[in-house]
Amino acid sequence: MKQGVVILMLAAGLLTAITAAQAEDSRRGGVLNYGEYGRPATLDPITSNEMIALRISELLFNGLVGINERQDVVPELAQSWDIAKDGMTYTFHLRKDVTWHAKPGETPMPFTASDVVFTYNIMMNPKTITPLKVRYEFIDKVEKIDDYTVRFTLKRPVLNALAKFSFKIIPKFALKNPLYLTRDDPFVQQPIGTGPYRLSKITEDHEIVMVANEHYFKGRPNIDEFVAKPFADQNILTQALTFNAIDMIVLVNPRSIAELQGDKRFILQPYNALSYSFFGYNLRNPLLADKRVRQAFGYALNREEMLSSFFNNQGTIISGPFAPGSWAYNLDVKPMPYDPKKAIALLGDAGFKRGSDGIMQKDGKKLQMTLLVPIEKESESTKRVVLAFQNYLKNVGVGIKVEFKEWQAWKEDVFNEHHFDIVLASWVFDDSADISSLFHSAEIGPWRNNFIGYSNPEVDSLIVESKLTLDYEKRRTINRKLHALLAEEAPYTFLWTLTNYSAYHKKIHHVQIHPYKFFPFANEWYIPLNQQKR
Amino acid sequence: MKKYIQTTVDVVDYSSLPLVQKYALADLLYVAYGLLIVMLVLVSYFAGMFDMLPHDPQQINMDLLMSPPGTDGHLLGTDFMGRDILSRLIVGIQAYFLPGMLAISIALAGGVILGVPAGYWGGRIATCITYISNLVDSFPRMVLILLVIAAFKPDIYYIMIVMGITGVPAVATAISNKIYFLSQKNFIEAARALGLRRRVIIFKHILWYNCRALLIIQATLGMGEAILLETSLSYLGFGVQEPVPSWGNMVQSGANYFLQGNFWPSTAPALAILFTILGFNLLGDGLNNILEDRRGK
Repeated sequence: MKQGVVILMLAAGLLTAITAAQAEDSRRGGVLNYGEYGRPATLDPITSNEMIALRISELLFNGLVGINERQDVVPELAQSWDIAKDGMTYTFHLRKDVTWHAKPGETPMPFTASDVVFTYNIMMNPKTITPLKVRYEFIDKVEKIDDYTVRFTLKRPVLNALAKFSFKIIPKFALKNPLYLTRDDPFVQQPIGTGPYRLSKITEDHEIVMVANEHYFKGRPNIDEFVAKPFADQNILTQALTFNAIDMIVLVNPRSIAELQGDKRFILQPYNALSYSFFGYNLRNPLLADKRVRQAFGYALNREEMLSSFFNNQGTIISGPFAPGSWAYNLDVKPMPYDPKKAIALLGDAGFKRGSDGIMQKDGKKLQMTLLVPIEKESESTKRVVLAFQNYLKNVGVGIKVEFKEWQAWKEDVFNEHHFDIVLASWVFDDSADISSLFHSAEIGPWRNNFIGYSNPEVDSLIVESKLTLDYEKRRTINRKLHALLAEEAPYTFLWTLTNYSAYHKKIHHVQIHPYKFFPFANEWYIPLNQQKR
Repeated sequence: MKKYIQTTVDVVDYSSLPLVQKYALADLLYVAYGLLIVMLVLVSYFAGMFDMLPHDPQQINMDLLMSPPGTDGHLLGTDFMGRDILSRLIVGIQAYFLPGMLAISIALAGGVILGVPAGYWGGRIATCITYISNLVDSFPRMVLILLVIAAFKPDIYYIMIVMGITGVPAVATAISNKIYFLSQKNFIEAARALGLRRRVIIFKHILWYNCRALLIIQATLGMGEAILLETSLSYLGFGVQEPVPSWGNMVQSGANYFLQGNFWPSTAPALAILFTILGFNLLGDGLNNILEDRRGK
């Protein structure tokens, strides 16, 4: 017995000695299992349009430039750049030490300027289906100057264009079809990138296993393996974390926050997503085309009560069309207060009178609307907001019929047929100051973002002015004006931005989370050696 | 006219024995329990119809979200919108009552229309009808329902029509088997020899005298199945939609809060589903044993 203890102590001593010898490696190793609320259809950065895939592509790929934690543009695949004085050409000097992911034993292919040109051409090919196309219409052409220099020529100078070159680069050699990329291409399931992690395999349970890229140009990442585990049910996601089946949840359900807050093993980290929720009104409906009616709806809602009852106050009430994290947000505009009396007065101004059934009517026409709601996997909080909305509006004499639709059918109705009165939806922004596609009248049409059919010459001209100006302060002033105008016009009832929380086990250190892309700093995260047990 | 009836089993005169000896005790208990549930369902249905409820089932109360049973006159507590669970449970049965009847009627009518010719004439007609049955049977019911929902909208009546149609083969097979079995007993032939019209033989002698028990049993089982189907669809979000309560959507929305310790919003409807389906199934089983004289050993 005594001997056993001695041996054990000896072993412990030995272990310490080894650890000391490998001091610099004490951060290296370990596996991070993170839970996602589904599995992505594609894994490449071009065809995918889901947040889950976007997060994965942050681990697998790089852009020419990156955005750091202070929102500054920093070098990534490009080590430096020159911008012409007129702002029309951008020349990028690429790193020479970057290679594409290769399986063990294979020789890695070098990354060159051809890949950049190739990626741009694939992205802009009309046959490629990608949400990115509209964002890069300002680029006129791209040329390869030499193997490690590439030049973009713009159609017009654009403010803050540099940040837009953060799109992910894909390898020229990997695609089956060299002209365009569709979801049939094997590349979308087996992507090859330059990022800190390399796709190792997708298991039968649809777990996506990514291993550290030994040749990563910023140095090998600390954690050996990232595994994305899909969960269909968000409640189980939280349970999985508390039972140590996963180490991290990228987006914690508001319901579970209190439960995780009390658990000392985990860290809850808020991160501000550039997004907000709103009720959108179909302005093709003559009743909703009246500004007073829309404003009345806004006054009838008690948004504070909803935010506190349904989301534990994890968010901010907003007043206008920009995400509150954005520099374009106008803090001087206050959100509409809860004022049902004013709502009734506004409806009275618009010519409505209460009928015998308690519903407002004008010229025999009842103020009765259909609220179209998509059936989603995680719809509980949506359901609550929708039912509360119905209830608040009933109090001011507006009849709301809630109609649930299957997701695809909902999109068809809202974006294509425009067959709806009111929708509850949310926007997620990556460029926080660009709302042109939501409110410019040129964006009205099938499958375009101005699905409410909002058309206002004043807003149109402000949007164009804001896009064309190169002066930051001037643009800020224009956007603040735009904010105030749209808040008053109320084409949407702006609701709130929810604070996103990530929860992770304390063993993961140096965690920094990017507000939108989540993983850009993951190569610096680490799990200390003594906590790396599987 | 004299009735020509022949029992399907060898004749033993049970009629003089007391009820309990005549039928297995278990079967009687099953039926008694089943009838109790049916009665409760009927009472709830009419209570809901005539607004005899403790609270308004759709009244949202933001101050009483998820309050436990007994709070402020809410006997079973309130749900995630502060609505009274007991009232919603009572009204919830309406979601199944008429739609379930519709599904059952479709299944029975279709089953009779297909089953009778198949059993009566047999031969090529039977083969043909078997093919139709197999065709309908080979569609996965869930997929069919989800397709209908995607094409139209999630409406309990559409769902129940699909359920009725997909229930046809089972009823048809049961009826045609029964008729085949009866025809082996020669009494149909005898009736024919006596000059009875075909219509009379089919409707009176076959369907009314010999198949009504079978149809009642199928109907009882069908009601349980309707509730179960709506519940599973609700779990996918495609069942009866808010704010209209159904037991399925009550369980589904309550389940989201179950793990946080708020067990009552989902437990109450889940138990209601359990006991009701159990009731219908036991009623079906018991009736089957009693009416068809298949006595448990």
